[in-house]
Amino acid sequence: MDEECVSLLPRVCDVLAASGSSLPDDTSLEKLLDWFSAVTKSGVSLLEVSPCLLGFISSVVSSRASESSIISFALKLIGLVAAAEDGFRALQETSVLDLAFDPQHWREEGLWEDPCIRIGWIHGFSTMLQHRQAFSFFVRADSIKPLLQLQTDTSLFVASAASQMLTQVLMFCHPLSSGFNETEVDNKSSSSSITGLKCPNATESDHESAAVVTEILEFLKRRMLPKEPSQLHQSQQILKLLASILSQAGPSLQNKLLLTVGESLEELVASNYSQLTRPLMDVILAGYSSVGGDVKVPDPILSRLLSVMLNQREPPDLIHAAAAFLCSGHDNRIHMEQSAGILLLPVDIITSLTLLEGNFTVKEHQLSMMEQLKNKTSCVSMICISLKYIPKITLMAPDCRPCPPASVVGAVLSLLRLCSGLSPPSVAGCVTVFRNVTGSGKVQKCALEALSALSSSPEVKVMLVEVFTLLIEYLNHPDSDPTVLQKSYQALLKWIGVCSNLSSITNQLKQDLTQVVRKRVCDMRWEVRDSTVEFLGHLAGLPACSTEDGGVCDISQYVLGGCCFTTPLLMEALHDPESYVRASAISALAQAMRNSWRQGAVPTKEQAEIVTQLLEILSQDTEGFARRAVLQFFITWFSSYPSCTSSPLLMQSVRSVLLQGCADLDWEVKVHTLDLAELLMDQAFLGQHGYTKGLESHPAQPHPYAVTAKQAYTLHTHSGTHTLSSDLDGLVKQGLLSVLLSGLFDCDRPVGLKACRLLIRLKDALLLRPQDTTDAGKTDPGLNCELLSQGWAHEIRNVLGMEDRTSGTDAHTVTINVCDLVKCLDLEERLDVLTRSSDHFYNSPRSLLQDILTAGSAHAQQDSQLKEEVIVDCY
Amino acid sequence: MKLYCLSGHPTLPCNVLKFKSTTIMLDCGLDTTSVLNFLPLPLVHSPRLSKLPGWIPKDGTMNLEKELKECAGRVFVDSQPEFCLPERELLDLSTIDVILISNYHCMMALPYITEHTGFTGTVYATEPTLQIGRLLMEELVNFMERVPKAQSATSWKNKDMQRMLPGPLKDAVDVWTWKRCYGMQEVNSALSRVQLVGYSQKVELFGAVQVSPLSSGYSLGSSNWIIQSHHEKVAYVSGSSLLTTHPQPMDQSSLKNSDVLILTGLTQMPTANPDGMLGEFCSNLAMTIRAGGNVLVPCYSSGVIYDLLECLYQFIDSANLGTTPFYFISPVANSSLEFSQIFAEWLCHNKQSKVYLPEPPFPHAELIQTNKLKHYPSIHGDFSSDFRQPCVVFTGHPSLRFGDVVHFMELWGKSGLNTIIFTEPDFSYLDALAPYQPLAMKCVYCPIDTRLNFHQVAKLLKEVQPLHVVCPEQYTQPPMTQSHRSDLMLELQPPPMPYRRCSVLNLPFRRRYERVYILPELAQSLVPTEVKPGVSIATVSAVLHSKDNKHTLQSVPKPPPVPPTKKRKRVMEEPPVAPKPLLSGAVPLEAFLATLQKHGITEVKVEETADGHILHLQAEDTLIQLEEDGTHIVCDNNEPLRTTLRDLVLRFLQKL
Repeated sequence: MDEECVSLLPRVCDVLAASGSSLPDDTSLEKLLDWFSAVTKSGVSLLEVSPCLLGFISSVVSSRASESSIISFALKLIGLVAAAEDGFRALQETSVLDLAFDPQHWREEGLWEDPCIRIGWIHGFSTMLQHRQAFSFFVRADSIKPLLQLQTDTSLFVASAASQMLTQVLMFCHPLSSGFNETEVDNKSSSSSITGLKCPNATESDHESAAVVTEILEFLKRRMLPKEPSQLHQSQQILKLLASILSQAGPSLQNKLLLTVGESLEELVASNYSQLTRPLMDVILAGYSSVGGDVKVPDPILSRLLSVMLNQREPPDLIHAAAAFLCSGHDNRIHMEQSAGILLLPVDIITSLTLLEGNFTVKEHQLSMMEQLKNKTSCVSMICISLKYIPKITLMAPDCRPCPPASVVGAVLSLLRLCSGLSPPSVAGCVTVFRNVTGSGKVQKCALEALSALSSSPEVKVMLVEVFTLLIEYLNHPDSDPTVLQKSYQALLKWIGVCSNLSSITNQLKQDLTQVVRKRVCDMRWEVRDSTVEFLGHLAGLPACSTEDGGVCDISQYVLGGCCFTTPLLMEALHDPESYVRASAISALAQAMRNSWRQGAVPTKEQAEIVTQLLEILSQDTEGFARRAVLQFFITWFSSYPSCTSSPLLMQSVRSVLLQGCADLDWEVKVHTLDLAELLMDQAFLGQHGYTKGLESHPAQPHPYAVTAKQAYTLHTHSGTHTLSSDLDGLVKQGLLSVLLSGLFDCDRPVGLKACRLLIRLKDALLLRPQDTTDAGKTDPGLNCELLSQGWAHEIRNVLGMEDRTSGTDAHTVTINVCDLVKCLDLEERLDVLTRSSDHFYNSPRSLLQDILTAGSAHAQQDSQLKEEVIVDCY
Repeated sequence: MKLYCLSGHPTLPCNVLKFKSTTIMLDCGLDTTSVLNFLPLPLVHSPRLSKLPGWIPKDGTMNLEKELKECAGRVFVDSQPEFCLPERELLDLSTIDVILISNYHCMMALPYITEHTGFTGTVYATEPTLQIGRLLMEELVNFMERVPKAQSATSWKNKDMQRMLPGPLKDAVDVWTWKRCYGMQEVNSALSRVQLVGYSQKVELFGAVQVSPLSSGYSLGSSNWIIQSHHEKVAYVSGSSLLTTHPQPMDQSSLKNSDVLILTGLTQMPTANPDGMLGEFCSNLAMTIRAGGNVLVPCYSSGVIYDLLECLYQFIDSANLGTTPFYFISPVANSSLEFSQIFAEWLCHNKQSKVYLPEPPFPHAELIQTNKLKHYPSIHGDFSSDFRQPCVVFTGHPSLRFGDVVHFMELWGKSGLNTIIFTEPDFSYLDALAPYQPLAMKCVYCPIDTRLNFHQVAKLLKEVQPLHVVCPEQYTQPPMTQSHRSDLMLELQPPPMPYRRCSVLNLPFRRRYERVYILPELAQSLVPTEVKPGVSIATVSAVLHSKDNKHTLQSVPKPPPVPPTKKRKRVMEEPPVAPKPLLSGAVPLEAFLATLQKHGITEVKVEETADGHILHLQAEDTLIQLEEDGTHIVCDNNEPLRTTLRDLVLRFLQKL
């Protein structure tokens, strides 16, 4: 806490105690509290540093005129101060604690009705409960009763905070390592699990704890069962609390808990309240999760509850319960089988494929499930849940899963066929259900997602041709909506990606796919064109596959015929009126050409044409997406081409890209331009003395909003026959220095930051280079650069104080030595400024305190004006 | 009320409704699918078609070589194409009072009905329906007349011969009633009987019923009709659409509370969503053009083509088709494009508001201005000099049997680069293509039918709640090819009444009320008596005057002053006898018994019956039956007693 803040604090306290309504904004108190907690966490005692707080607290608590928001703040602050034992004692001496945490006091004041007082009370107490003394205070004040009442408070925030605190109290009474009835606890375990402080009187405190635990457990038991449907909400709250306790409790507390509430839980499970399915499953699973250590088998009560949940409830609840259990990943064979069966049942019924042959326990639910499926809403919802978990089922151990994964894939395919009306239902009884899924976009999307996920299941590759056929049908279907098409493409990519051997794909299928892709790039909807173009790009990015003759082939080549098919389509897409499509086309082109770049192939005439078009887009496109994509294209090219300097087309275009990129209006384009500049620098200097690669010098500091490149760039450095000066000379000619310097003075912080870091690296490389070369830095004309009199160059002139010196000479251009320039710019200072966020000053505690003071005085002034009854009407 | 069904085609209906002494024909659609059995009529000599071999039956018993030609395994009639007319024998067409037309596609049989049949009635249609219907008829006549075919094949129609023919000729029905196309003179004469109406305009028919067209949202000027009397309402729903295309949206609320709703003209493609089809149309078109091929779109010269052009207008740029020429070739192309722009009041709100900007409502005006869309009356003339490939050609007729489309089929059919895209749902594309086989050209079928689908119609009927629905039998079962799709049929409670060609349906409701007017002076003379709170009645003596199905009660004319003449005529001149008073109320048993006692009748035996009581006056041997709706006194040979008893009963009743 700095001096100035300490000196401001007493006045701030006065302002706050006087009136809370003059705060600059609603969050001021929260910010102040955050600052206080940060100060406390750093080990500083608040009362020692600013004793005025004590006075503030006493006056607020005892004053009848205090605002409820200020009281709530004071209560929280008390908790913060009392969390340390000396603070606690100090507060107790002033008897502030008794008053502050006595709900009766606030009731009498008529303030307890205000939820913000109740929440302050809970938070204050909860923060304070760090040591035994505080706990004893809690017990003696009999605060457990109001706390239990608050658990079912009308305000959700209060109720939730009360639940959390109840869990905290229980954990405090019953630390993980101790048994409930163990009196011979050692010092460590009898002390608070949080502070590790010793308890002065272990037996007494154990007694206190036991009483509190019993009270809480009895409360849970009493309130769990709803006596009427209107109390369901209360049961839900209790179950949430129970789940939270169970997930943190040790074995003995868990035993105790389950013994107390087990019966009520069983009654609740049997009662078939649909709304309680999820919270009940949370409780059961929390119980399961906490099984560990020496206890291997879950409590028989839990096991029994789970069996009931998975067997005797209504179909929608069964599905939810099964999904929850499967999701929890517990290794309980019987229940896993049961859950998997239940989740497969809706699909089994609709597709009439026998997925669950012999599973009689699940088949028992067939009739009731069928009835539920006839209702459209529940049908769609159950199938979607089922589809979400189906991929998980295929990953279960072979002896555990209800049917082979390939059958599951078959069922999903059948379902997809039904959805799009491609095939008739096979059983007459399902006609109503079939109607519910026909044309349902939601089911289609879920099924396609499931199909994508199923691609990585074992033993499913045999289904490749069927999957391929269906997905092509989907892509061809006139009524498929854009999202369905996008998901079909994604599924297709997944399946192609995992199948290293595509020889089963017939020529007819390949032809169908090319035909449908050709059609979809001409679609009316830009979303569809976009996904198609993206698909082409992703396909080109997939690794090679093996062919029927045992050879290895590029997948895109094998499936679509490669670049001669893809490139013309993508080049057409460069002219698309929608900028997203243009951007996707540019990225896809980069993917498609990457292989030929990697092999260092000489650019073809077609590629030269593409480059011309891309440069045109960079200079003329009105949308940022497309221009950013162009930068990414050149970054990919540059980083994958083995020997950049040997490609005149690449180097020539890089120069134009740098020139246009740094003059762009979009900050992301500029950052990408700097990325490209960085690659240029890395390529030129890597291996030079004093030069560090970007990631090594500033690891993991990307700007939060910046788009980061998907792949790490690999660099192809040339054998260092060149000298630094000649390299730098080349870079200056490429326009690198202008990019860096214009970036440095850019008004967008991420751009300035990146440019500054690059310049520092350049400076390091220049200044730390060995002095064996001739003193070229000063004499070599290649190390000079020219400064114009406008824009960033003007800024540099200002920084360097060059206006006077150049006044007599040519006012438009000045030549300056690069080394001198980077030395004079004071880059480190600039980096420091740029690194701080733009609101760092505004967010400082000092600023906060000043704001409170200013607002307070403005308010006081307003008050006095009002008193004088000088009311100025504004029109 | 009866309905005579003269056409079995669900989207080209022709029904006659007899309702309250009026005979109303609802639409007269012409089923042109019969032309698919004929060879195409080429505009320029086609060596391929002329060299087709004559059909020789296997047993060689018939000689129909000149009439029937064989192409790719199918047999076609080599003659001027003929149409299947609505049934003309079911009722005397001269008795039809009016014809209501719902849209321009449903009036193509008009000349067959109004000409040479003795028809003297009026045809009601909206202005766009009349004008565009005229264009379509002109086009049809033009297509037929510019390539006259001397030969008229009739031998194959002989029943014994037809039975031996291969399908589908063998299965064609009523081939003897098929007729060649009408001429311009008949068209003009038929259309001269049309009287124009506007939406919601009420037209009185002989005072008996009122008919009124409602916007149906399907095409320019398309309408559904309400036919109502004072107490009955019949709704006739023909081609209607709920999609937002160019016409005014459908008026659904006025269809509410109908006694009978006659439902025709649902979509012919229930599984093809028009939006999806439009998307397919555009992408296939762009794909072909990009590959350097030409696109042929066989279509009608009005209707969906406006939407296609509008869609292309937006699509051209996104698909880089800016330089591709679009040709619209039809004898009425120019009029069709221009007419569409002048019927602003019949367009959807968006397009209407453009007129005030002022801008042409359809963007095809801009396409024409920028030379992207060019239209020609025929392939002859200017077109041949302007023609540039690759291009997109819109032309008729969608059956591919006549019109300029035949020429393009011959021209482009051999190249796999070209594509034909079917957008009209009226013809099976496979049948349409049959005489052009083998065909290398790609074929895409994206029928765009914006009419109501089953889902929409179910929702509509739920909302408008008609008491009874009458529809073509095709709508009461799933399509033949998709028998599992029970969602593609009408499922209603009570079930709809199906009809087929030649059905005569007795519509299931009886007229119970008739409105009668009372003249003011007569009304003034009435003396109402309140029988219970809020209900008063009065007796009326008047003369009922009925004229033009309008009924009026007038005061009885006072007899002229009687000249003192011959005595024997006096009987005739006596004023009519005043009607007996009407009685109301009930006889209370106890009070009646007391009264009887007062009058010395003491021996009364009361018997309770289902409807009231029987009083047996034992001494007098008389019965009095007191029932809810009548009182009888059975008293033989004692008239004074009967009269006394009657008067006693009357004491308890109110007289009116």
